[in-house]
Amino acid sequence: MNISLKWLKELIPYTVTPEKLGSLFTIHSQEVDSVEKLVDAEGLVIGYVQTCQPHPHANSLSVCKVDVGDAVLNIVCGAPNVAADQTVIVALPGARLPGGLKIEKTVIRDEASAGMICSLSELGIDYKYHHEDGIHVVRDALKPGTDALAALHLDDHVLSLDLTPNRADLLSMHGVAYDVAAMLDRPLELPNVSVEATGDQAVTIKTETPRCHSYYGRVLKSIVIKPSPQFMQARLIAAGIRPINNVVDITNYVMLETGQPLHAFDYDALNSDTIVVREAQAGETFVTLDDKTRTLHAGDILITNGREPVALGGVMGGADTEVTSETTSLLLEAAVFDAITVGKTSRRLDLRSESSLRFERKVDPEKTVYALDRATALFMEYAEAELVGDKGYFDHTASTDAPITLSLEKINSVLGGNYSAEHVDSILNRLHLPFSRNHHTYDIQPVSRRQDLITYQDIIEEIGRISGYDQLPNTLPNTVAQGGLSLKQNLRRRIRQALTGLGLDEAVTYSLQQEAHIERFSFNHETPIKVADPMTDLHAALIHTPLTGLYDVAKHNAARRQYDVNIFELGTCYTQAGEVERLGLLMTGSYHPYRWQRTPQTDFYTLKGVIEALLDGLGLPAPTYQPIEHNDLHPHQAASLLLEGEQIGFLGKVHPKMTSEDHLSDVYVAEIDVETLLKMSPEHATYKPLQKYPSVERDLALVCERSLPAETVLEAIKAQGGSQLVHLDVFDVYMGEHLSDDQKSLGLRLLFENPEKTLESKTVDTLIEKIVEHLHKTYGITRR
Amino acid sequence: MDLKNTLAELESKLTEALKQTEKLEKLQDIKAEYLGKKAELSLLMRHMKDLSAEERPVFGQTINAAKARFTELIELRREALEAQQLEARLHAEKIDVTLPGPNFRLGRPHVLNRIIMEIEDLFIGMGYTIKEGPEIESDEYNFEKLNLPKDHPARDMQDSFFITEDRLLRTHTSPVQVRTMLEQGGSQPVKIICPGKVYRRDEDDATHSHQFMQIEGLVVDTDTTMADLKGTLLTVARAMFGEHRNIRLRPSYFPFTEPSVEVDVTCFKCNGNGCGMCKHTGYIEILGAGMVNDFVLSASGYDPSIYQGFAFGMGVERIAMLKYGIDDIRHFYTNDIRFLKQFST
Ligand SMILES: [Zn+2]
Repeated sequence: MNISLKWLKELIPYTVTPEKLGSLFTIHSQEVDSVEKLVDAEGLVIGYVQTCQPHPHANSLSVCKVDVGDAVLNIVCGAPNVAADQTVIVALPGARLPGGLKIEKTVIRDEASAGMICSLSELGIDYKYHHEDGIHVVRDALKPGTDALAALHLDDHVLSLDLTPNRADLLSMHGVAYDVAAMLDRPLELPNVSVEATGDQAVTIKTETPRCHSYYGRVLKSIVIKPSPQFMQARLIAAGIRPINNVVDITNYVMLETGQPLHAFDYDALNSDTIVVREAQAGETFVTLDDKTRTLHAGDILITNGREPVALGGVMGGADTEVTSETTSLLLEAAVFDAITVGKTSRRLDLRSESSLRFERKVDPEKTVYALDRATALFMEYAEAELVGDKGYFDHTASTDAPITLSLEKINSVLGGNYSAEHVDSILNRLHLPFSRNHHTYDIQPVSRRQDLITYQDIIEEIGRISGYDQLPNTLPNTVAQGGLSLKQNLRRRIRQALTGLGLDEAVTYSLQQEAHIERFSFNHETPIKVADPMTDLHAALIHTPLTGLYDVAKHNAARRQYDVNIFELGTCYTQAGEVERLGLLMTGSYHPYRWQRTPQTDFYTLKGVIEALLDGLGLPAPTYQPIEHNDLHPHQAASLLLEGEQIGFLGKVHPKMTSEDHLSDVYVAEIDVETLLKMSPEHATYKPLQKYPSVERDLALVCERSLPAETVLEAIKAQGGSQLVHLDVFDVYMGEHLSDDQKSLGLRLLFENPEKTLESKTVDTLIEKIVEHLHKTYGITRR
Repeated sequence: MDLKNTLAELESKLTEALKQTEKLEKLQDIKAEYLGKKAELSLLMRHMKDLSAEERPVFGQTINAAKARFTELIELRREALEAQQLEARLHAEKIDVTLPGPNFRLGRPHVLNRIIMEIEDLFIGMGYTIKEGPEIESDEYNFEKLNLPKDHPARDMQDSFFITEDRLLRTHTSPVQVRTMLEQGGSQPVKIICPGKVYRRDEDDATHSHQFMQIEGLVVDTDTTMADLKGTLLTVARAMFGEHRNIRLRPSYFPFTEPSVEVDVTCFKCNGNGCGMCKHTGYIEILGAGMVNDFVLSASGYDPSIYQGFAFGMGVERIAMLKYGIDDIRHFYTNDIRFLKQFST
């Protein structure tokens, strides 16, 4: 809502500067977007064009003698519409126009020019408000030399308010004036209106729907259509509405003033003395005044002349009864329509207007007759209207609500302030809210102009905001509670700490991705959850794995020649069974540490090492692996990840077909189920006393079939080694010379300990023999 | 032969021999030559028997003193040679200390999670619990129980991604507050913050994102006040933006709170004097808040005649953008590694 401050000052004579008013509004009422001059210019006067001759050396220019009061100036003008005998706006030498343009005496093609004749656009008034291409010709014969902005009512400031939807009252000048009156504690001066009915031409108004709460109509005759007065046009422009003609402008002006939308029908075209308001039937059609045929839904509010529809209530009039330049009589409507219905209809038909906005946010039913009378008076003054009879109406407005009861103690207990009854009394008075007080108990009477004030909390807000929230102390809640993280939140932080410690960066990607990408790296083959009406195909379905987003991160970075990407994401994944949290890891390029020229490329085992470091750090047992297959993974470099036999995730190399299509080098990904990690995480670490007796280390070189998984061999050794075998490592894998093509050699390091005594070499040798014998018998493994 | 002259002669011979010696191993030979059993000094002892009883002790002492002196000379030379040798070895070990070390790197938590953790820790310190909830919510929890019935115009303010007629991606983390209150059964005080992802139908551009992170807070008790809200938010503003910040509350509207306020912090670039960042107002909007609407308390099982509370909610991206001067909200979700690496752990 844009507020003309000149207009506002008529309703509430205030003395503060526009800037101060703006900051008061922000603190006590609604956020102010800007406080600006309607026309930011200086040095403009009214001029009278005495003569206008073609420029001797330039076809498109004219040379004018312009009376500016104390002088007659020679001004060269380029506008095609300039002519003798016009009243115009002149920027004198030394004038400043919007955008900082300075006007100076100059010579244009050998003709002296002392100033400039202005168009409205040159004054910073947007073309959409005037549709004038040339200079502005002033209608009234104003005295040359007078201040042009003042004479044209353009010496105004505009306060632009960013309204919240509850404050429907601030969609009217009256409502704004009430709020300013409360802020500044000043009296209001709203105009009184009374219209004496003469004549006996009556209109009958009937309704067949509860969706029209009240409807007032009045016939006005002998209307003369012409431009509206300059002050009205200036105020409409300030409010952001284009002036059209006196009829349209007056209805808009009164709507801005009171918040009550009005509609004017061409009474002759209406061709009826009866208005019937009813609900539309599904499929019924109606031609709105933009000449479009609208198909209606059941329940849309229709205004009819008793036979056919003439307006879509609260939304738009009909083409057949539109006011034109030929119109001589009007039926003026002031009505209150159901907020929700107007909102739905206008949204559905994409016909949102200043009127529908006000109906949707609820108009003040007590302003309806005032608005009708106010407009009638303006029509009589500015459109030569003749009253030919009294208004017809029906009014089903519900009676006023019961008072709101509220105690001073409650006010202070909610705000945490220490306000006195006198203070609260004064705030309620400033707000013009009728109340009675019995000791500390208030009964406050709701008012129709503030339909947002319904509960005691609404009243507390009024007291808080008009007093100013800066008046409240800064305290902390008395509530004492034990704060902290849940086990899961804590685990999440430990995972983040471990992985960043290992050099991986954390990413956050979108939950909504392309539907075609949801199955990527996913072992969950159910239908993805889709949003009903996606904004774009790129964000249409919910992910099954964070890897969907992480893979795109690798692509984004590679496209920027950033090939070393080591990232993870802890993300929610969405399945038909519910939401689960999964950890995704992605590594590509090289991983630290590298030194100078040696930059090893990440491979399957790099990622495996990172995962094992993470699990170890979290106090979890060492995982085991089983080869798996997935369309998006390398058929021979992918494994499921098991923890004590339970699958917790997978890792693998992204299928080279996919990475080469996406111009990526080798990419390795892993996914781990966070819920399972949480379930298996030990509550705390377990302490084992440090070994007192020396341990015995033995290396073992074994030759086995190449296809035999190392894990099988290691598991077998562990089983045979028993509790005295405390550590087992692979330190070498060899294939090649001295071995046949289907063989490999594994170099293993075994560490034996006995917590009770020093192990004897003999005991260890016996164990080793037992292990080797078992391996030979079971897998045909030999010692090298 | 005069003993003193002999000894002096021997000492100067030894000194010369030591001077000529550059190798540690040679010192052993010199020691044998001058102090060994067959050394001249040892041979001199034989003359002892030719001396009188009075002369013997003096003679013995003189010889012993010379032995000690010779030993000292040899040891001094040994130390000098050892020092030389060490120096030579260290010199050979000289490296270019300006060459870089191996590329160890600590990864970075995502800046959004980093801010969430900071805020969580701040509130944990004040006795708050962290609560989370589902991102796919029912209309009832996301809207209706929060005083946003189906036709409420404020639903426009957070146009949402519906999945079915009744299920949608949550538009705020407020449903977690509702769930927590229902869990608490209407009789226990509530003191929580709720961080998480939320979704609204905004076209992605430099300042809008269809997905973003929010942190909301809720305190419900018999005596929770707007002044408590103000004090709490002042603490947050100072923790996030510096201890000299101040805040201001100005009226606003949210269906779930009444009174409702927007909270501005004094501009941390110009200290409230007005600059481009704060649009010359001296203040920057950081969050929305208010006293919990009675409707919401009742819908969540709390008797509004006994309980009252405050709630607040802030966008994590906005906080991060303000705090670090980040110019495009999409950076958070694009994860360019040049972006990720900037925010130290
Ligand atoms: Zn600033």
